[in-house]
Amino acid sequence: MNMLASYLTLAAVLFCVGLYGVLTKRNAIIVLLSIELMLNAVNLNLVAFSKYGVQPSLTGQIFSLFTMTVAAAEAAVGVAILVAIYRAKTSVNVDEFDELRR
Amino acid sequence: MSSLAEYAWLVPVFPAAAFAALTAMGRGAGRAGAWIGTLASLVSLILSLLIAGQRLSGTAEEYSNHFDWIQVGNTTLPIGFEVTNLTSLMLVVVTLVSFLVNLYSQGYMKDDERISTFFAYVALFSASMLGLVLSYNLLTMYIFWELVGVCSFLLVGFWFRKPEARAAAKKAFIVTRIGDLGLLIAILLLFWYMPNHELDFTNLHNVFGTQTGVISTGITTLIALLIFLGAVGKSGQFPLHVWLPDAMEGPTPISALIHAATMVAAGVFLVARTFDIFHASQAAMDTVAVIGAFTAIFAATIGLAQNDIKRILAYSTVSQLGYMMLALGVGSVSAAMFHLFTHAFFKALLFLGAGSVIHSVHTQDIREMGGLGGRMKITAWTFGIGALALSGIPPLAGFWSKDAVLTAALDGHPVYFVVGVVAAFFTALYMARLFFLVFAGKPRGDAHAHESPAVMTIPLVVLAVLAALAGFVQTPFNGWFGEWLTGEAEQEHASGLVIIVSTAVGLLGVYLGWLIYAKGTVRRDIVSSRMPGVVRLLERKYYVDELYHYVIVKPLEGLGKLLIAFDDYVVDGAVRLAGMSASAIGRLNTRLQSGQVQGYVLTALIGLVILALAVAGRRFW
Amino acid sequence: MLENIPVLSLILLSPLAGALLVLLLPGQRSVWLRAAALVFTLIPLALTLCLFAAYRPGVGGAAFTEHYTWLSVPLNKEMINAKSLSIAFDYHLAVDGISLPLLLLSAIVSAMALLASVHIRKRWKTFYSLFLLLETGMYGVFLARDLIEFFIFFELTLIPMFFLIGIWGYYGREKAATRFLVYNGLGSAAMLLAFLILIATAGFTAVQGADGYTVQFSGSYDVLLKNLADPQSYANNASEEMAGLGVFLSDNLKWAAFILLLVAFGIKIPIFPLHTWMLRVHTEAPPSVVMIHSGVLLKMGVYGLIRFGAALFPAQLADWSTVIAVLGVINILYGAVLACVQKEFKLVLAYSSISHMGIVLLGIASLHEVGLQGAVFQSVSHGLISALLFLLVGSLYERTGTTQLGELGGLAKSVPFLSGILLTAGLASLGLPGLSGFVGEFLAFLGLFGSMKGMTAVGVLGILFAAVYILRSVLGITFGPLQERCADIKDARFVEALPMITLTALIVLLGVYPSILTDVMQHGFVGLLEHFQQRTGG
Repeated sequence: MNMLASYLTLAAVLFCVGLYGVLTKRNAIIVLLSIELMLNAVNLNLVAFSKYGVQPSLTGQIFSLFTMTVAAAEAAVGVAILVAIYRAKTSVNVDEFDELRR
Repeated sequence: MSSLAEYAWLVPVFPAAAFAALTAMGRGAGRAGAWIGTLASLVSLILSLLIAGQRLSGTAEEYSNHFDWIQVGNTTLPIGFEVTNLTSLMLVVVTLVSFLVNLYSQGYMKDDERISTFFAYVALFSASMLGLVLSYNLLTMYIFWELVGVCSFLLVGFWFRKPEARAAAKKAFIVTRIGDLGLLIAILLLFWYMPNHELDFTNLHNVFGTQTGVISTGITTLIALLIFLGAVGKSGQFPLHVWLPDAMEGPTPISALIHAATMVAAGVFLVARTFDIFHASQAAMDTVAVIGAFTAIFAATIGLAQNDIKRILAYSTVSQLGYMMLALGVGSVSAAMFHLFTHAFFKALLFLGAGSVIHSVHTQDIREMGGLGGRMKITAWTFGIGALALSGIPPLAGFWSKDAVLTAALDGHPVYFVVGVVAAFFTALYMARLFFLVFAGKPRGDAHAHESPAVMTIPLVVLAVLAALAGFVQTPFNGWFGEWLTGEAEQEHASGLVIIVSTAVGLLGVYLGWLIYAKGTVRRDIVSSRMPGVVRLLERKYYVDELYHYVIVKPLEGLGKLLIAFDDYVVDGAVRLAGMSASAIGRLNTRLQSGQVQGYVLTALIGLVILALAVAGRRFW
Repeated sequence: MLENIPVLSLILLSPLAGALLVLLLPGQRSVWLRAAALVFTLIPLALTLCLFAAYRPGVGGAAFTEHYTWLSVPLNKEMINAKSLSIAFDYHLAVDGISLPLLLLSAIVSAMALLASVHIRKRWKTFYSLFLLLETGMYGVFLARDLIEFFIFFELTLIPMFFLIGIWGYYGREKAATRFLVYNGLGSAAMLLAFLILIATAGFTAVQGADGYTVQFSGSYDVLLKNLADPQSYANNASEEMAGLGVFLSDNLKWAAFILLLVAFGIKIPIFPLHTWMLRVHTEAPPSVVMIHSGVLLKMGVYGLIRFGAALFPAQLADWSTVIAVLGVINILYGAVLACVQKEFKLVLAYSSISHMGIVLLGIASLHEVGLQGAVFQSVSHGLISALLFLLVGSLYERTGTTQLGELGGLAKSVPFLSGILLTAGLASLGLPGLSGFVGEFLAFLGLFGSMKGMTAVGVLGILFAAVYILRSVLGITFGPLQERCADIKDARFVEALPMITLTALIVLLGVYPSILTDVMQHGFVGLLEHFQQRTGG
């Protein structure tokens, strides 16, 4: 069996799990975590292609490093915003976050 | 020594400089400003006399000079000046009347706080009118043509506080502008039809006068009629005469200068200057003659029933200008110019005399005057000379020139002659009525009438002398004037019939007027009691103003209102509709925007899936 | 002397520098701010005057051209098998006989409007910085010779204008500003689309080297002009080397681009029925801004229409000259009749602007040098006259608090100077010879009359209506019995009188000696006219 296919399948499963979490969970922290899941699915794809792709090269792996960095920053900012919102609203329920509409 | 004509451009420059100086000085100039204006007009007069003198002695060639005003590619639009016998004659007439009016206004406008503004306007008018006279081509003429119109407008509205003056000024400008449009279109036509786009009078003479066939008859007629439209507007011919009587709202010296002697005669001058175009088209000539004859009798009848001293004179002016047009229409430039020449003197005299009367009794209604002859001797005498000259009583100037016009009319068509004679009778009658009501009989109004100061009476005397004697330059026995003017030897035809008939109707009119208004043998209401409709028709000036109001002004106002509605509801409405539909769509879309981030992500996901399906689907499609 | 300094860039950028300086000054010092703005407005005015004096029509503006590459983006050269393929946008400034008069007009009107901005009572700092930014935009429009550059400067005038109307205007200012932005935004969109079509299909140069072609797409006006004017070389290029690109400017695309440009600039001019936005701007914006708007911004539409509509698409213009003339006549009469029945003086002037711009359209439709010069002359003249009229409107409003015709009257008694200037401006506007309005009108009519006699004759009627609406409103304000609210007002101060006298003097100068302007325009239309002559000559 092709190694690439199995990696990609795993990544797809991870991505869908993450997407499901983003769309359905009410808790903002879980939504953030789900986003991390999706990003990691992408990382997995990048690494898989860099190893088993048509033209294997290190670029993919380097890119995944970038992604991790950005993901870390994003998580930090996201959590910081969440904390701020929690202070204002005493809630982490995303249904109540409709400030964009105002 | 070089010809003085080379310096003719200086003639309008003096008043123009006076205007500039007076404008720069503003209202502070006061009486000093008045003297600046008068002095400038005196210098112009002297120069004009010198130029005319040189031309009279026959030592100078015709002189013209020009420069390129605008150059566009291969097209040039020159402006320039030209001195011929005709223009030098007009120069003298304009500067002389202008100087006398300036002098007269020193007294007449003495107490007006805007006296320097008045003299500035008069100076600007003189400059423009002299420029018009000197013009070497139609473009130059059009420029000054409009400028004199504006000066007339400014001076008619000089007493701007009066709503009537405002209305009259507006009317004067707009009605004459209708004529100006005709002239403008005629110039455009000439520009495109004349060889090399030449617009100067010499070339017009060559093309229309000698090389027939360069421009087709139809176009020639069209051009001539359009030029004539301009003349009709400026010279107050029917149907554009309505502005001239209203223009009497202006100060009386202005009526003398602009609305009697000079500017209104510009229409006649224009036709005389472009006479070759008219001569090339019989239809145009007939139109000019018919309009002229009709206006002559039409205005004379209105003059019979008016009660405002200035309005009577205004209608008389319209009527006399009709005579000049009639003369042109039957082909006699010299008769028209001769009548213009004499008319300038006696009509200016009459207006200034009327001004003297108004100055003294502070009313313009002749029914409130009377018996002024005893207290205003100089005014009465000079006015009488003017009135007799206008009535065509020999040997005063008006007789000779009217005689020339009637002789020409008789050559043209008997109907023109008859109309001219009847109009001459009415002229004598209304002048007699005017004179006897104002100067004879018992005082009816203000008892404090007094003679005007010398500064006002001297111009009256000068003009009276001219009105009496100016006619002798051309009599049926001496065609010198016409020969000098047109350069062609005129056959000296003394028509006994014309002399006898015109003298007879003149005397008859005066006698009848004397019977009715001085002696009282014939009752005044003899006509009004029998035919009140006719008198009313005349008093209302044949309802022309009312007609225009309902046929032209009202529909245009209606159109304007309609277009406002159109602009508001259709043009702007379409825009509002577009705007509203855009915001309606926007409002619909806000429904989708719940503020729930998860909802957005879901929407994005669905979109992505659709895109992916579409891309994938293309493979199989 | 001027050749040695980058005079065009100096003209263009000094207001921008002024805007930055104004931002650094303390916001409460209105005098400092005004002085700084004035200095940085007078610099380009002085330079433009020098340029005007140094300009030789026979040589053209070549000596003053400034040309630098601004952006160059490499494209995928495999698409057409060329050695290199790129798209470039240049910083290219130049003047010629068409743009120089308008440039001078902008400089003069800006300076006068700045002097007139004494009516501004709040937020001076923002006002003057926006004002100077607007100036840069205007100069850029008349100087730019690259399509994208032109577009950028064209847009640059919109934004300051939006705020100038929206912040300092009268009661309905916000609505007017929005209207302005929406309409002009639409126009800009149409213009951008037309420009993109042009760049993508006709804006290329192909140079053959040893190892293939170097192909460059650009928005350069000169390149476009050359490609469009010389169909032969264009076709040669198009047939072989450029085959890979597939799209060339077909006749249909030409028509599309032409009509898009007509709409874009037609909104600006404005052409009926795209005019309603400018009525609001004229009534709601502060006077000094309307001076700029009516005096210069409308002329950008004329300039664009001549520069891009006429010069790039002469064939289309010639085919549609009747349409343009009809639009012009509609503009003239529609504007004039509506001006005759308005009760608000500013609206009279707004509709009169529509009417006067109709005359410009007639000049363009003439396809004749006289008419085209008339169109530009009329633009300049109307710019000066309407600037003067709105300056007066500002002064009158400041004194009486109204511009309703029914509430004004007899001002000649209380403010003779203002009334005299108003009367002069009115007379200039109705086309009195000796003042500038006449020359433009006369040339435009003269040009059009050669090809369309009946149409011109109808258009000439507009002059008559002009007399009616101008006299009705001006005499209504200055003549007649003195209205109560006009009784105790003072005549113009020096700072108001200065721009009034300057503008009046210019109007008289142009009216008496129009050659000063027409000589500069002498060779401005050469290329365009050659094209028309080829068409008519067969």
